Amino acid sequence: MSGETRVKKPRGLSWIRRDWRLYVMLILPVAFYLIFCYKPMLGLMIAFQKFNMFKGMWGSKFIGLENFRFVMNMPDFPVALRNTLFLNLMGLIAGFPVPIVLAIMLNELHSVPFKKVSQTLLYLPHFLSWIIIGGMVLQIFSPSTGIINATLLKWGWIDKGIPFLTDGPHWQFTYTLVGVWQSMGWGTILYLSAITGINMELFEAAKIDGANKMQQIWHVTLPGIRPTIVVLLILNVGQMMNISFDRPYVLGNPMVQNYCDVLSTFVYRAGITNSQFARATAIGLFQSVVGMILITGANLITRKLGEEGIW
Amino acid sequence: MKKALAILLSLALLLGLAGSAFAEDDWITLRVETYDREIAGLDVTNCWQLHYAQEHFGDPNHIKLEFVSYARWTEGDLLTVALAGGTAPDICLTYNGGLVQQAIDDEGIWQLDDLLNEYGPNLKAFLGEELLGYGQSDHDGDGVKEQWYIPARRISRANVGNFIREDWLKALNMEKPTNIEEFTKYLRDAKAANLGGTTTTPFAFGIYAPDPLYNVRRFTDAWVDFSQVSEEDWFAYARNPEMLPGSKEGFRWLNTLYHEGIIPDTFALTDNDQANDTALIMGYNGFFSQQPDQPWRTDKNYEIEMEKNVEGAHWVTVNPFKNESLGGKTLHDIYAPAGLSIIIPLTTDEKTAIAAIKYMDWMAQPENMFMMQNGLEGINYTGLTEDGIPYGVKSADDVPNENKMHAGDICFISNGLCYGDDAKNNAALALPFAGYEDDVVASYEDALTDAWTQISFTVSIQAETDFGATVKSAQGKFLADVVSADPEKFDEVYDAGLQDILNSGAQQMIDEFRQAYKDGNYRGVYPGNL
Repeated sequence: MSGETRVKKPRGLSWIRRDWRLYVMLILPVAFYLIFCYKPMLGLMIAFQKFNMFKGMWGSKFIGLENFRFVMNMPDFPVALRNTLFLNLMGLIAGFPVPIVLAIMLNELHSVPFKKVSQTLLYLPHFLSWIIIGGMVLQIFSPSTGIINATLLKWGWIDKGIPFLTDGPHWQFTYTLVGVWQSMGWGTILYLSAITGINMELFEAAKIDGANKMQQIWHVTLPGIRPTIVVLLILNVGQMMNISFDRPYVLGNPMVQNYCDVLSTFVYRAGITNSQFARATAIGLFQSVVGMILITGANLITRKLGEEGIW
Repeated sequence: MKKALAILLSLALLLGLAGSAFAEDDWITLRVETYDREIAGLDVTNCWQLHYAQEHFGDPNHIKLEFVSYARWTEGDLLTVALAGGTAPDICLTYNGGLVQQAIDDEGIWQLDDLLNEYGPNLKAFLGEELLGYGQSDHDGDGVKEQWYIPARRISRANVGNFIREDWLKALNMEKPTNIEEFTKYLRDAKAANLGGTTTTPFAFGIYAPDPLYNVRRFTDAWVDFSQVSEEDWFAYARNPEMLPGSKEGFRWLNTLYHEGIIPDTFALTDNDQANDTALIMGYNGFFSQQPDQPWRTDKNYEIEMEKNVEGAHWVTVNPFKNESLGGKTLHDIYAPAGLSIIIPLTTDEKTAIAAIKYMDWMAQPENMFMMQNGLEGINYTGLTEDGIPYGVKSADDVPNENKMHAGDICFISNGLCYGDDAKNNAALALPFAGYEDDVVASYEDALTDAWTQISFTVSIQAETDFGATVKSAQGKFLADVVSADPEKFDEVYDAGLQDILNSGAQQMIDEFRQAYKDGNYRGVYPGNL
């Protein structure tokens, strides 16, 4: 082909000369990552130090894995670890399929105004702070004065309030339910855009072949968004060790301490409140390492199963 | 003539400023931490007190004062970051004792003995030797204690305020309870009569998460059997009142109240906040326990707000928690005489450190302190009583912005208004609460009855740094569990809870406290000695 001879292998710095504008534009994002994401990683070394806040990370004494040993020997650590994994797993099982179903349902809606209103209402909880949601949860689920229990008690369906917030397993249920409600609408966005990307001809072909609505969804829509589902699943698995601080902190209470204490609240207590930054950093590093292992593992398995992973 | 003089003076001032710009090393800047409580209209970095201090202290000494504002409720975190980053003010204030201890251990602050001796005679006189002792510890281990921080002087040390509804007592035809039995009867009768409507929960009770048993021991200490608690035990269990022999029955009492609906079933869900405040001012509760002046405070005025909602409602102090093993004493804990801690970080140079001490020394002089705490007659208060105490103190809303002030935060060497002697100071406590003076005085009297000073230690307790927070969280769980436990399983739950607390690090703390007591490194009062 004639084009082939025209493509020259880049020699020396000619590639810079050719595309220098693009590289100049790249400086900003690269600098952002270097300054705000990579440079702070240096601070991880305080996880291995007896950190002295006046001497800083260059002047503090190196003590090896002592911080890790100390934190992991605290009786609260295994409890927090177990709760983190359990609540995240529950969240994944209950919360992962919901946005997919919801996105498909939204996609099937014909009335545009109705669709827009539903979407807005579904997105709304995502923008509420957990502090506000915590107040709402209290109003709804309180032992005898919450809306649900007060109503059921009044109707005589129950003679003792359901301990949504005060009994461990009930609390786990409430926590998961509220989480699904809060995030399901937001989660539909990626799936909806993936559905929009499916070739309409496939639907038309399926219709001509006599596929009904359910069959179209099963044979066209779902396979069409499968790559999106897989990528999101891998990313979610990688987050198994990470849990937000505000949600368990706001929804939890001392009565369910053994169920609501998670790594983030544990770090806050054992690390930040006593200015034990080195120990807090040690737990953070531990979480990241496990997260890294999980995400790599999930990616590996997906690729073995013949799907495209995230790298 | 006047005008000409004014022009001349301003010219002189301008020239003076210009002159100072040339001779810069003559002037130094002193950065002072100042709490910001977000009082509307008060800019703490540019307030009347700053201008007053600049004029009367700064200008004559060639020191430029600068107030650095830190949000009051996150001051500890903010200061930690600033200290670690080397950007802390020259005078740092904090209520976070752990942070101060850390700063001493990490050797990041000035040792103040020489500076105080040379530049702070008025300050030392104002604080006194006993109080200064709180800021001293032997860091280098040579057997001599050094001065590491300056403790502010706490004027009023009362901490406990127990309040009961006078109108409920009338409705029940009862006298004010004087012991636990009568008090319990009051609670039960109030519940039975639904005096606060269908949502009556006579005992306002919640869990204060940062320190769950701090307020609860006011009740449970009444059950402690002091014949089984030696002075050493008292200090060893400094942070563990639930471990004191006898207190178990106090927790059982709370458990009973919970199952009778006297304590709200949401007590563990709300963190001492809004929901509880609402219940109090709506008149659902018949008893609550907070600070001695709490019902009349301007920020949470339970008295006036409740009166608006409930006709004739009225809070009065009550003192029923008699300890039989102490011959019927009603124990009340009081604060140590030391208030917030003042430190000077090592990032401050010597010249500025001297200026810092000089500033506090100036502040400690009675006439300066009076101005810094009270402001101007006719603007911040109406006039002076015979004793020289301001009356008709204006609320912040009624003072023009340029004269708004916060006495305690900016005149930080004194926690509370100081007028010279205790009698005057106590009389002054009730003055801001016009119409309720007698109630306030009675409340303070109760709060200082059989008072024991809270425990503190003069050495760094490593176990408390390591486990303090986890122990408190275990205590929160313990409190929630024992109060709500099935009465038949109470003993089981109680014992398991104690074990959990011990496992969470309390055992190490108790051992270390005990050692500190044996070494004489403690402060506070053992109620058996009262």
